[in-house]
Amino acid sequence: MTIATPGEAAPANSPKMKKLRYQQAIGLAIEDEMKRDPRVFAMGQDLTSLGGQFGLSRGLIDAFTENRVRDTGVVETFMVGSACGAALGGAVPVVDITFSDFMFIAGDEIFNKLAKWRFMHGGHPNELPVTVIAGTGVLGGSGAEHNSSLEAHLLHNPGLKVVVPSTPADVKGLLKSSIRDPDPVIFMPNKGLFFSRGEVPVDEDFTIPLGQAAVLRAGSDATIITYSGSVPVALEAAGRLADEGIDTEVIDLRTIVPLDWDTVFSSVEKTGRAMVVHEAVTTGGVGAEIAARLHARLFDRLEAPVSRVCGKDTHIPQNAYLEKYCLPSADDIVVGIGEMIRRPARR
Amino acid sequence: MSTTSDQVEAGGEAGTSAATHELSAELLAEMFHKMLLARGVEDLFAKWASDNTFQGWWHPGRGQEGCAVGLMAALAPEDQIMWYHRGANWPIARGMDLELIIADLLGRTNGSTHGKGGGAPHWVDLDLGLMGSGGTLGTAHVLGGGLALAKQVLGRPGIAVSGFGDGTAQRGTFHETLLQAAAWKLPLLYFCENNGWSVGTSFTSSSPTATIAERAAAYGIPGERVDGQDAAAVFQAVRRARDHIVAGRGPAMVEAVTYRIGGHYFGDVGNYRPENELDHYRDPIDVLEARIDPATAQQLRERAEDDLARASKAALEGPIPGPDLIFHNLYAE
Repeated sequence: MTIATPGEAAPANSPKMKKLRYQQAIGLAIEDEMKRDPRVFAMGQDLTSLGGQFGLSRGLIDAFTENRVRDTGVVETFMVGSACGAALGGAVPVVDITFSDFMFIAGDEIFNKLAKWRFMHGGHPNELPVTVIAGTGVLGGSGAEHNSSLEAHLLHNPGLKVVVPSTPADVKGLLKSSIRDPDPVIFMPNKGLFFSRGEVPVDEDFTIPLGQAAVLRAGSDATIITYSGSVPVALEAAGRLADEGIDTEVIDLRTIVPLDWDTVFSSVEKTGRAMVVHEAVTTGGVGAEIAARLHARLFDRLEAPVSRVCGKDTHIPQNAYLEKYCLPSADDIVVGIGEMIRRPARR
Repeated sequence: MSTTSDQVEAGGEAGTSAATHELSAELLAEMFHKMLLARGVEDLFAKWASDNTFQGWWHPGRGQEGCAVGLMAALAPEDQIMWYHRGANWPIARGMDLELIIADLLGRTNGSTHGKGGGAPHWVDLDLGLMGSGGTLGTAHVLGGGLALAKQVLGRPGIAVSGFGDGTAQRGTFHETLLQAAAWKLPLLYFCENNGWSVGTSFTSSSPTATIAERAAAYGIPGERVDGQDAAAVFQAVRRARDHIVAGRGPAMVEAVTYRIGGHYFGDVGNYRPENELDHYRDPIDVLEARIDPATAQQLRERAEDDLARASKAALEGPIPGPDLIFHNLYAE
């Protein structure tokens, strides 16, 4: 169990830390790994002209040639499929498909090729190092086909790893680990966090292992299990609950596959209450899997059923005024935890 | 369908050269041997699909052997290949161990995929550049494009081959890959086996163009149509295309016109096919045999029979995998 993200280990403003936007940490991690390993290359739309749709990689082209930073056409199927083929050919591709909704355009390439290729071929090759950057979360006003949170689709398809960072330091440490990882990784930065800022270690060897959750706040009354864009919402709620005398533990999963079950189980064993919070729709979401496993494993310990405060079972409307009605709020969390605490003791 | 070699000039660019490469007696003999092995495997699986030794879907490649044999003879060891589901012609023509090929088909652990590839098969031999095959059509376009991309990024020699049929030439992956590969001048060969049928839909009834090769012009790359029943002609066309590609001029396409004389899968009686369709069919074995002296041909027939008997016996001796296998190779081990 990690109590704090490594990014918080060094004091703010130390020479080993740099204050960066979440989005900038993406470009920094790619640049680091391209310098470290000549097999690493990046491709995506507008990488050299705009630094990608989100400015993720601005400046990359200045450091490398166009052989290793490639502008593609509007060819998501080719982008992901050729990344799979390039990895088979010995390269280490990082491909930016911008919005995770576009995973469906490259659905065969993600869900069949990246996930199944080694399984189908008896582990030949053993490694398939592909990183697909697919932005999740809500970016004001970009509508139903640019705002889905689709990590549960990936969880449901063995063979992929899924990374969902919430801070700039985690973006850097986890993206570097993703690029170095021998398996295909769908790296899902949250668009709603792009402009958040935080201290990021400048050390080129700074990485965060995949599969290691962060306990952002220790508590004894209830556990909030969350990730990605819901982390700041959960922390805000935890602060308000503390004012009411309710002591919540907040776990940032950081990766959905692998999922740090040890940290989740040991926390809920301690608190006896669990709530899952995520932006993705409630039904069939990551929270459903977590709730099922908690109920199976800790049924006798639970003081209340595991609850879910997650995205509403609908799509994000194009009208930005309506977005907030779709997403979990700190109010929902505060009310939900309060109900769990007040529930009569079990027999 | 035309069975002559037609070069389609790319818009504003020269097509592939008209050069003729040497095809030695040794290479012709090797090609003939591989063609006999491929036909022998066709015969074996027709039998094994009938008596249930083989549990799966056999998509016969019978009659199309000249395409893969001509193609592989023209490739270099450093070339890498993505292909598709029909027959066992491709791995056999590339020289993959016959026991592995048959064991894969039979779902035995002594196959290249250790028992994962039975039925509609997945073969793999990374040292030979046989990188695998996907179960969804169009895989070979994008993944083959990726192999070519890796060669360009890493500065490695050789070309990548995307193998597909006329049906799969309809997939969007065909377009996206060629568009990007041509823009980046990737070392990619599109090799189409046009056998006239996409399951039960004929090429002539479904294609807006008379040939696949002429579609190359849309991407500014050369496309050549060649008689796929003549392995020697296929060899020449692929060599010309490969010369173009390794010169750094970008992708090229070869369309080998052939026949699917069997069904889409074994058991498909093909009652949708016109009666006189095979009137002009020439067996690729006969076409190649005419280029080889009779004594050598006879020796090669005996050798192929021995090879097939030995490989099928060894393959059948391999065990069927146990349940543990289903959790293997999901992630790196």
